[in-house]
Amino acid sequence: MTAVRGVGQFYPVASPLHALDPRAKVVATALLVVGLFFVDSAAGFVVAGSATALLVGASRVPLRAFLGLLRPVAFIVALTFFFQVFFLREGPTLFGWGFVEVHEGGLEMGLLLAARLLILVTTAGLLTATTAPVALADGIEDLLSPLKRLRFPAHEVAMMMTIALRFIPTLGEEAQKISRAQAARGADFTSGGLLARARALVPILVPLTIGAFRRADELAEAMESRGYRGGHGRVRYRELRFRARDALALLLTILVVLAAVLL
Amino acid sequence: MRIELRDVRHVYSPGTPFAVEALKGVSLTVEPGEVLGVIGGTGSGKSTLVQHLNLLLLPTGGEVLVDGADAVSMDRTALRRRVGLVFQAPEQGLFAPTVEEDVAFAPQRLGLNEEEVRGRVREALGLLGAGHLAGRSPFALSGGERRRVAIAGVLAMGPEVLVLDEPTAGLDPTARGDLMGLVGRLKASGVTVVFVSHDLDEVAEAADRVCALEGGTVRSVGAPDEVFYDDLSLAPATVRVAAAVGERRPGFGRPVRYGETLAALRSLMGGAA
Repeated sequence: MTAVRGVGQFYPVASPLHALDPRAKVVATALLVVGLFFVDSAAGFVVAGSATALLVGASRVPLRAFLGLLRPVAFIVALTFFFQVFFLREGPTLFGWGFVEVHEGGLEMGLLLAARLLILVTTAGLLTATTAPVALADGIEDLLSPLKRLRFPAHEVAMMMTIALRFIPTLGEEAQKISRAQAARGADFTSGGLLARARALVPILVPLTIGAFRRADELAEAMESRGYRGGHGRVRYRELRFRARDALALLLTILVVLAAVLL
Repeated sequence: MRIELRDVRHVYSPGTPFAVEALKGVSLTVEPGEVLGVIGGTGSGKSTLVQHLNLLLLPTGGEVLVDGADAVSMDRTALRRRVGLVFQAPEQGLFAPTVEEDVAFAPQRLGLNEEEVRGRVREALGLLGAGHLAGRSPFALSGGERRRVAIAGVLAMGPEVLVLDEPTAGLDPTARGDLMGLVGRLKASGVTVVFVSHDLDEVAEAADRVCALEGGTVRSVGAPDEVFYDDLSLAPATVRVAAAVGERRPGFGRPVRYGETLAALRSLMGGAA
């Protein structure tokens, strides 16, 4: 009965982004992510940033979900920023205070790196928030299928991904259930030092691990009893269709990436 | 201790597309020393309800009162010691290398000394007839044994109220009987027991009062004969048979427990049996 909703999870609302073919979204995300590493000007980041902001708006996923996604990376972003600002000594000095010196090059580099990380995480979040896990895995399987000729197990990889994604909320739910049961026995996960807190996790991790193995066994048996014998000759219930709007989305992505890189 | 729920509502994942209203205004009092049986179909809110008794879940609306005082503002840890909650399939929470260490987990958290902890462990395992398992690994036990050990793990806290969520689900008839025997022993020692069950016979046998939930609301609550005879669709087979007999024989009464039904049938047959 308890719904556990982690950050970066599929958010089922109707939006133009949700309606796109998962393959188009995976390729577009890959283009944006790779493209971001070649963007090196403020103007380029403005283009990439505003495109991402537009997409977030179009996804109809509440901003709250994205802020939750950004919280864990905020620390890394801040750390990267400060490292660049204080230790990169290029360009004219903006101000100096004892041994601390801030140079223009450092500040610029810090801002660019921070922007790159934030856009990166948001883009990845967009993909998972607007694409159902199964559709995502189907899309990736399709994109990897040319590699089957090289004996790359595309179906198996996609199936493992699907299962892993499918069981994240299940395990989350189970972890919550077990931690409640242990809380009912007086367990306390929030006080004490680092070591005490780590030790407090043992009563959760042991049952969780045992449960995960049991579940894996049960799933394997259920799949076999329903005739699963691997990917060979398997057909899909939902066929993926690459429509005009998917092509359009890809084209727009390419234009944005080109603009951001060239600017 | 008396636990009173007043118009308690609970919504899971409020404010998201996944919001589910599991309790839609439940008012219920757990009287000190009683055995309260909670029945209702799957999804009727039983498990959500029992987690409000020790505030593992906080009500989205309404109040939880303990001895007349607002429980939400009380010290939760202290409250959870007084109200022991045994979840469904509690054996899934076993984690220690030996049964003894697992049962000792809760009393150790209470800050008792080693001797007191050992005493609590012995006492709790004894109540469940599991004293001989103390040195074994919990993972090497049978399902019924593991269930008993897990319940002992909560009982070792020495709670005033023990809440059991489907304690007999998936157990064989003997193990079920043993567990319901425990409920009787706990009551005799002054512990209040709240238990959720799908087994109506069990509820008829052990409960002083019955609460029937339906769709997140209380459908009926009261003495077993009131709840069962007022709505036979909730009643165990023995009660339905007794009600059918009673329709023809007005003096038959309203037996609920198996023994009472048997006695009524015997006197109906003129003591011949």
